[in-house]
Amino acid sequence: MRRMQKKLILPFLMPALIMYLAFVVYPACRALWVSMLEWPGFNTPARFVGLQNFQRLIHDESYLLALRNTLVIVFVGGAFVFALAFLFSVTIINLGARTRKILRAIIFLPTVIAPIALTTLWGFIYNPRFGLLNSILRTIGLGQLARTWTDRGSIFSAVTAALIWLNTGMYLVLLLAGIDKIPLDFYDAARIDGANSFQMFRHVTIPLLWDVLGVGVILWGISALKVFEFPYAFCGIWAPRELWTLAIYLVVMGFGKREPIFQLGYAAAIGVTMLLLVIVFVLVARRVLRREAVEY
Amino acid sequence: MNGQGDIEGGGRSDYRRRIVLRDRIRRLVPWIPAYAFLGLWCAFGLFVILWQILASFKTNRELFLNVWALPSHLQFQNYVKAWSVVKMGNYFMNSIVVVGASVLLILTISTPAAYALTRIPFRGVEFVTNFVIGGMGIPVQMLFIPLFGMLSRLHLADTRTGLILVYTSVSLPFTIFLLTAFFRSLPSELEEAAAIDGASPLVAFVRIMLPLASPGVIGAAIFNFIILWNEYMLALIFISDDSKRTISLGLYALSNSMQYTGDWVGLFAGVVIVMVPTILIFILLSERLISSITLGAVKG
Repeated sequence: MRRMQKKLILPFLMPALIMYLAFVVYPACRALWVSMLEWPGFNTPARFVGLQNFQRLIHDESYLLALRNTLVIVFVGGAFVFALAFLFSVTIINLGARTRKILRAIIFLPTVIAPIALTTLWGFIYNPRFGLLNSILRTIGLGQLARTWTDRGSIFSAVTAALIWLNTGMYLVLLLAGIDKIPLDFYDAARIDGANSFQMFRHVTIPLLWDVLGVGVILWGISALKVFEFPYAFCGIWAPRELWTLAIYLVVMGFGKREPIFQLGYAAAIGVTMLLLVIVFVLVARRVLRREAVEY
Repeated sequence: MNGQGDIEGGGRSDYRRRIVLRDRIRRLVPWIPAYAFLGLWCAFGLFVILWQILASFKTNRELFLNVWALPSHLQFQNYVKAWSVVKMGNYFMNSIVVVGASVLLILTISTPAAYALTRIPFRGVEFVTNFVIGGMGIPVQMLFIPLFGMLSRLHLADTRTGLILVYTSVSLPFTIFLLTAFFRSLPSELEEAAAIDGASPLVAFVRIMLPLASPGVIGAAIFNFIILWNEYMLALIFISDDSKRTISLGLYALSNSMQYTGDWVGLFAGVVIVMVPTILIFILLSERLISSITLGAVKG
């Protein structure tokens, strides 16, 4: 049986491995090489320049701004996403099964809608003249707070807020599934010991949710470090520099028609730094989150 | 909480029920702001989406006169215009072909691979699994420049086939991650039972494992369909010919041209055309989708 089964390994694995090696692993390795080239366009010859592209990155203000923006989304945005997901999951979990499913579906809904569709929606919400946000502020008598939400100073915060809104559902669903798996006896035991809701959250929910939280944080890090679609589309063809993330800057340098000369090597170098950030993020997250895990 | 011990024995169930109720209310009171916030959050989400759908049935004049008013007549011509004049219909069909073929290909390739990685023990299985799933960490933008060159050399640049190839490859790591979690959750005696019945491993896979795995495979199919239907970044990089645009890329182009046309209601009609398929799928299949996404993260 086992030997006959083993004959399946190659034909079952090969198609996936070949596709993965050819169109993911090989291009990733090639990007490492391209990042050391000065290469002004696909049809022009490239020149090897070593680590010069990376040296240039360190002094490139646009790059540093894109890096800062990306990290703000990952950490500040991430803190909000997880805080909200936690808050919603511990509130929803006390409701009846039907209500719980409906609320979960509503909060998850933005996740299944195209980011480009949500961009249009949020563009209208923030619209200074007839947008939803200013209209609500005026209706509830806080008209003096109504303002232009998409000027250069605030556009990045506005987009980050929208990103938090559209990502919370995904992590809520993960946490809810994790909480559902915690045996109810643990809560009963804690209650008999006289624990209040906060103590139960701190001493039962969090430790038993630690593994799920770890997976969630890593998934968030990988996806937030490459965020592109929502901010890129937010301000039409030329998203202002204030909105650039690393992924946007890479596309602008490699494919954007902003300048007639493409900087393929430089764009690849940006990609390499993104990969490094992912690796560092995953390693640190694993280290930090490995402690405290509780088996049950 | 306190004094629960002495009620436990007696039959004073009415008293006990009152205590439980009081206990419950006392526990819930501090949560009122949290429930209010939860309610607001959900209301906001539903409201903005419904509002956008309603707005897509207005005229531009009506929209700007009063953004909150209901449309006086349902302006179906917004949709007619978006579908044919702006060619969203064309893009819709392109997406059906490209996304449909990609999802089919992704699952045809990933399902046997995930099966081999979880149900057949072999040396190095852990390494191969980590190697493939580790691909989830590669930022896809890093692949753009090399992939662009490769597709040109394969004469697949700016073709739907090329886009299908890219979609399929970059979706493999996460799909295999989802499917391996699903296969692991199936009981291990199944293949042995099949072997005792004299079925060959291939027959056992097709006859026994595939039907059992179908909830996981369907979940992964829905997930990939939604992701690929919604994405415009890869299409933007690899497709330049207007006639080959996918629907999300078409909407991206439409929203860019908005700055010149000012046709908001037309844009909203386009937005609704993009949203409707995924929302419908979600309404019909949300349980399946959510449980297959969470399975990988929450080990049972």
